[in-house]
Amino acid sequence: MSIHLQREIDKIKRDLLLICSIVEEQVQKAVRALFDRDTKLVQEVQMMDEDVDWREINLEEECLKTLALHQPVAINLRQLIAALKINNDLERIGDMAVNIARKAAALATETAIEIPSDFADMGEQTQAMLRKSLDALVQMDAALARNVCVCDDRVDQLKKQIREQIEQKIRQYPERIGSMLRLLSVSRNLERIADCAVNIAEDVIYMVDGRIVRHQAD
Amino acid sequence: MRRRRLFWQLYPATLLITLAGLAVVALDASSSLRQSCIVRTVEDLESKGRLAEDRIVPLLAGKEYDEIDALCKKLGELSATRLTVILPDGKVVGDSRESPKQMDNHATRPEVVDAFQEGKGVSLRPSQTLHETLCYVAVPARDHGQTLGVVRAAVSLKAIDDALKEIRSHILVVSMLTAVLLAVTSLIIARRFVKPLEQLSHNAEWFARGDLGHRLSAANSKEVDGLAETLNKMAADLKDKLDMVVRQRNERDAILSSMVEGVLAIDTDERLLRMNDAAARLLGVDVARVEGRSLPEIVRSIDLHKLVAAVISTQQPVEGEVVLRDRQPRFLHVHGTVLRDTPEGHNGALLVLHDITDRKRLESIRRDFVANVSHELKTPVTSIQGYVETLLDGAMNDGEQREKFLKIVAKHTERLHAILEDLLTLARVEQEGEKPQSVLGSESLRSVLEAAIADCGVKAEEKSMQVQLTCPAELTASMNASLLEQAVVNLIENAIAYSPPGQTVEVSCLESEIEIEIRVRDHGCGISREDLPRIFERFYRVDKSRSRDSGGTGLGLAIVKHIVQLHGGRTAVQSIPAEGSTFSIFLPK
Repeated sequence: MSIHLQREIDKIKRDLLLICSIVEEQVQKAVRALFDRDTKLVQEVQMMDEDVDWREINLEEECLKTLALHQPVAINLRQLIAALKINNDLERIGDMAVNIARKAAALATETAIEIPSDFADMGEQTQAMLRKSLDALVQMDAALARNVCVCDDRVDQLKKQIREQIEQKIRQYPERIGSMLRLLSVSRNLERIADCAVNIAEDVIYMVDGRIVRHQAD
Repeated sequence: MRRRRLFWQLYPATLLITLAGLAVVALDASSSLRQSCIVRTVEDLESKGRLAEDRIVPLLAGKEYDEIDALCKKLGELSATRLTVILPDGKVVGDSRESPKQMDNHATRPEVVDAFQEGKGVSLRPSQTLHETLCYVAVPARDHGQTLGVVRAAVSLKAIDDALKEIRSHILVVSMLTAVLLAVTSLIIARRFVKPLEQLSHNAEWFARGDLGHRLSAANSKEVDGLAETLNKMAADLKDKLDMVVRQRNERDAILSSMVEGVLAIDTDERLLRMNDAAARLLGVDVARVEGRSLPEIVRSIDLHKLVAAVISTQQPVEGEVVLRDRQPRFLHVHGTVLRDTPEGHNGALLVLHDITDRKRLESIRRDFVANVSHELKTPVTSIQGYVETLLDGAMNDGEQREKFLKIVAKHTERLHAILEDLLTLARVEQEGEKPQSVLGSESLRSVLEAAIADCGVKAEEKSMQVQLTCPAELTASMNASLLEQAVVNLIENAIAYSPPGQTVEVSCLESEIEIEIRVRDHGCGISREDLPRIFERFYRVDKSRSRDSGGTGLGLAIVKHIVQLHGGRTAVQSIPAEGSTFSIFLPK
């Protein structure tokens, strides 16, 4: 393999990991903003999203350039394809973190409502999944990536529970329906972040094993 | 260049020289041998001719040609020589092999011409009659100075040539033997040359493999021995240098790993060069697994990355704070400097990480304390101020209102008093703690606990609650009785305040080998997980709205903590929301 290609791939990997670290921090801050009713964090999340956006475009261009110039095969090709897809997923996670942050900002201006206790759990689970999938990416660890896919069921279940709790609360306090719907939207965004983490994990498996594991019943 | 074995370099050259020498000697020897043989043959023939001449001269003088021929034939047979007698005019009159009449004129034969002119003629040439090379020697037959004819003796050179041929074949055989002998000797010599060299190179492989303690053995030749010695010396020098490098590296490692600060060295591509144990601990990574990885792979922190990028691009030292939120949030103060290998170039950045999590926490506690204490003091003061102003504005003339407002003012004054009292207690406890030796006496634990429960009796009765005590009477502990009583009172009051009416509060003592535990258990509302670590902080409120109704000052648990610390003990709390809490005081034995 040419040393130039290796260098390009190393650089792409490094840039991808930087986007990872920003996005991970975005999600952490968005979730904290929700619980701490902290509007300063919300602004930070939005600022970081601009950074993520231009980094995403740069990385995509790098990947395309490398594909066109070096025409890689085998593991190198898989690495580049996976990088392209993970890049995309990360950007979407960033957008969803911004969504959560906006909802948190709106909630912070309203009277405090009791956030269902499952939310903390769901936030933690989602962040843990994201962390694990990114760790799997760093360590090229397919086993850890498979573990992420399993965790998704738990998050889906939590989302269902939260939905039921919110429905109940809406019946109880119909005047707070706006806040409740915002909370529901937050839970949906968290669930979608978890889905993106699963996508990333699947791309890691693809990169390591060369097998596409999407849409396969366990 | 093609590498050949030493044998093949040695053998052909030696063989060529030896064979060339042999060939020259053989050719020289055979030609001189032939020459000397011919000379002797010529002498022999001459003497035979002279002998024959002696007999033939009388016959020639008498012109008895038939006699001459007969004599020739007889003498020729006896001496195995061909004898010919030729008259001066060239006519052959006698020959030992042929009939003279059939022979042509011999006057032009070189030996005959020479014999007539110079007294002797020698010629080597193929015979015209016998098809082989013959040696002819002709001598003149003289009688009293008159040349009557020529006697010619001839012999075939075939015998000489045969002998020479045999000698040549001998030489060939010897040459072949020499070649074989040379091959063997060359091989042996080459072996003797190569063997110590091979041994040397085989042993030198130990060096290449890094075993510099190995020594090369001496060989038989001086040169190879010198080489071995030089190699040994080189290895010893190398070993010394390596040892020094290893020692220096170990020293450096020891220094780095015993540092409290984390140290990270990275190159311009952000690849990790070195990392000490403290850095691995701070970043929560395994040193063995991060070898040679890039910084984003090791720790996903955009702030840290930006700091490194700033150091590498500006070539200036950069400072900053980085928060790692992997599990427990960690605050790191990071110093980044350019890492230089050579004075002019640079090859990365050096990061020094200080853990400032504790400092941050203390800062936030202090900040919160100031905010809280002013808030806590301001609330009653504002109320008092408001009511007093209302009274002054005319409400004091209305008896009913006056009494109501004054009661409110009294309540808030009491509250202010309680807060100030608690703050003073806290200050006192802290002062006690700062004294080198505070007075601790061994006293009965049960009496202290009973006193504490009695103090809370009124409050318990108000909520119709019971306080149960389980404590062996003989249990003693070293303590400051009044302070410990205060601590237990605070815990029991809290337990009563945060429990619904009618519940019980259990106070119990447990003794283990190293410490005594005083446990206060309630069945109240409990404390959520997030609040647990902070409830011992001053003015920390679990629930901001409800706490003040329950009448506490927010300092109770802080006082407990300080009193227990004064005793050299520790506090602990376990709680399940909606099920109750258990506060424990551990006193050392």
